[in-house]
Amino acid sequence: MRRTRFSVVAVLAAGALLAAACAEETTGGGGGGGGGQEEPNDLLAEIQSRGTLRVATDPQYPPQSSLNDETSEWEGFDIDVATEIATRLGVDVEFVTPGWETIIAGNWQDRWDVSVGSMTVTPERDEVLHFATPYYYTPAAVAVREEDAATMTDVATDFDGATIGVCGGCTYEFYLDGSLNIPGEEIEFVIDDAEVHTYNTDVPAIKDLEVGRLDAAISSLTTLQGAQDEGSAIEIVGNVFYEPLSVAVDRNFSLDPERFVAELDRIVQELHSDGTLAALSEKWFGQDLSAKT
Amino acid sequence: MEVEKQIGGAGATRPPGFPEGGLTRWQRVEQASLRVPFRVKLAVVWLAVLAVLGVLFALVQFDLGWMAEHIRFISLGIPFTLLISVSAIILAVVLAVLGSLARLSRNPIAFGLSGFYVSFFRGTPLIVQMFLIYLGLAQIGGNLQTMGYEWGGLLILEGLLAGILALGLNYGAYMTEIFRAGIQSVAHGQAEAAQALGMSYGQMMRRIILPQAVRVIIPPTGNEFIAMLKDSALVSFLGTVVSQMELFRRAQLTGIADFRPFEALVLAAAMYWALTTVFTFFQQRLERRMSRGYVRAGSFQLGGGAGGHAG
Amino acid sequence: MAVVPNGPVVRLQGLHKSFGPLEVLKGIDLEIEPGEVVVVFGRSGSGKSTLLRCVNWLEEPTTGIVEVDGIRLEPGHRTRSKREQIRRLRMRCGMVFQEFNLFPHLTAVENVMEGPVAVRRVDRTAAREQAVELLGRVGLADKAEEHPIRLSGGQKQRVAIARALAMEPTIMLFDEPTSALDPELIGEVLAVMKALATETQMTMMVVTHEMGFAREVANRMLFLHEGDVVEEGPPSRILTEPADDRTRTFLNAVL
Repeated sequence: MRRTRFSVVAVLAAGALLAAACAEETTGGGGGGGGGQEEPNDLLAEIQSRGTLRVATDPQYPPQSSLNDETSEWEGFDIDVATEIATRLGVDVEFVTPGWETIIAGNWQDRWDVSVGSMTVTPERDEVLHFATPYYYTPAAVAVREEDAATMTDVATDFDGATIGVCGGCTYEFYLDGSLNIPGEEIEFVIDDAEVHTYNTDVPAIKDLEVGRLDAAISSLTTLQGAQDEGSAIEIVGNVFYEPLSVAVDRNFSLDPERFVAELDRIVQELHSDGTLAALSEKWFGQDLSAKT
Repeated sequence: MEVEKQIGGAGATRPPGFPEGGLTRWQRVEQASLRVPFRVKLAVVWLAVLAVLGVLFALVQFDLGWMAEHIRFISLGIPFTLLISVSAIILAVVLAVLGSLARLSRNPIAFGLSGFYVSFFRGTPLIVQMFLIYLGLAQIGGNLQTMGYEWGGLLILEGLLAGILALGLNYGAYMTEIFRAGIQSVAHGQAEAAQALGMSYGQMMRRIILPQAVRVIIPPTGNEFIAMLKDSALVSFLGTVVSQMELFRRAQLTGIADFRPFEALVLAAAMYWALTTVFTFFQQRLERRMSRGYVRAGSFQLGGGAGGHAG
Repeated sequence: MAVVPNGPVVRLQGLHKSFGPLEVLKGIDLEIEPGEVVVVFGRSGSGKSTLLRCVNWLEEPTTGIVEVDGIRLEPGHRTRSKREQIRRLRMRCGMVFQEFNLFPHLTAVENVMEGPVAVRRVDRTAAREQAVELLGRVGLADKAEEHPIRLSGGQKQRVAIARALAMEPTIMLFDEPTSALDPELIGEVLAVMKALATETQMTMMVVTHEMGFAREVANRMLFLHEGDVVEEGPPSRILTEPADDRTRTFLNAVL
């Protein structure tokens, strides 16, 4: 008897725990049924009546997006840009952290509204996602260990057949396998027959380079410089291509996203013209990458 | 005696089996070693292992300063690791009770469903199950909503909840076998005595069989919980809110943010090790209590052998 | 005390039992009158335990009819109503097993209470009173709060007898009740069984090798050989002048 009572209490307690955990979540649930008198009729209206913009970010990508454990908050260039966008929409910002593969695959099931994650526009991604005007541009650069910097100097010639690490599902991987296509960019595939190692994010690739498992790593210039700032003994050899990075919205929302995308476009252009993006870029990258060079 | 004469001495006849020149060095070592108590030898082994670890530590050249700075933040994930594990184990126990009774049932629906459940959740990797539940349920929910069923939104679970559900389902399948074996370990005569008194099947199970099975089931269930503490780390792959991050996720993100993934992971490993050691200690005390004064010689030993997880 | 019914307490008709290809009972007919003590004996494998277990349907006969206290069972599909029948029939029988089968997680008095409380829905206080009294009658009043693990074999079996009696059965079935006991403990159990027969006129069917008990207490003895009742009669005759050679051979070996 006592044992049954105990297990009933335990089950109830667990149920209460789970109910509490559920209650914290405001990111569950689909687009319909926000607050307010009228039914929101598209995504923008829904966001505004909800009062919060849900932004997807992959927090394993410093200095664009990472965890500040002193404040227990996300920080980085992308984080600041997303916060700024939300402010200009007149709502609060909330971050969700699914994996990168989940974000670029589209079909978000309305779990978040927008990705501000330094995403490069490619035709494949364009099929499932709307892209707004690019908010900054980075070179994709090649890095080697410091001690190899003397011998491996020319991107066009010294890296054929090398073992190169990149983040999986990123443009750097597509560059190495020759499939990269960025609308409006002319890409020269100068590295032939590289042995490609993919990682679920950039930092492990850089670490493997440091250790010697790789001859080189390709990532955004900003990330490589960020690593150097933290003491990574790598040298940046040169750039291989130039990528425009944009915020992205799922094409497949249950509510119409058209007006929302147009609004994002307008805000990004505003952020360019009033110098906000330039300022944030200086803050995080030490240089202004917001304009195309 | 004969032996004394041989050592260092030549000449006199030797008993068969002794090599030329008396005891070999190895045999002398053995003799000396016999006098040293086991505990002392054990301590020496531990010290040697720690010394080797210390050397490895030094060779890796950790950024110990960074580790000291961030250890507190990472350790705050422990309550969430415990929350995930406790919630999931409770779900698993409920499923195991139902599943084991179904496995023992003659009802074709119960037997068939439970067979499918056990086969699937023991036959696919846990991480795959987590993604299937996280992504798959959300997809179903989204499609239901598109079709007009608003309640589909309930299926779109947060990472934490999807993780707990997957863990519970997975461990429930393994524990179904443990519970079934435990129930069957209760001697057949007990069921007969209950039946002879006129008890129904339900009464027999509730009053006689399950209470006895519980004693046998509790120790391996404790082992499953300890395994689950470690598997809770997989929930991090589903992406979680800052306020709900468990131990591994915290280590992963803090480490990557400062380009020190290795230091962070070493801290996480140490914490998991501490957690499992503590629980293992209590688990062993529990096992000793369960077997005292109740189970006689020839007790049914359930451990990793009865279908539980390794380690 | 059991209510003494009219007519036989137990009626077995044409009882056959096969386990796969092995035929263990080859057509047994038996009637037991109220107050009778019937001892069934024979070699192991003769089917005597199977016969006993058919009475309370722990074994389902392949063919044949079992009737206890007016409740009649035939082999066949176990519908819900049939399961109820089986339970009701079992409530009329009290069974004592060779391996005692006491419930180890309950104390002695809780063991004795278990049947009345769970099956007959007797109020716990009343059941406890009755249980204590029964334990007293088997000489174990002081062991009421002990768990079976602390009891000797003989004590355990006496608790088992009390547990069966608590259900106020019409017939008590004993399946080799002393075979698992050390010799010095056999006597106390047999004493209880004898008192049960002589003081309460309990109807009893006992499978045993204890011929001394049979001589003193049994009204009738049945010798079972390879599934058939070979010989039947009062102990005064069976034990001294068995008619059949097979009976004689067996008794020579046992006595």
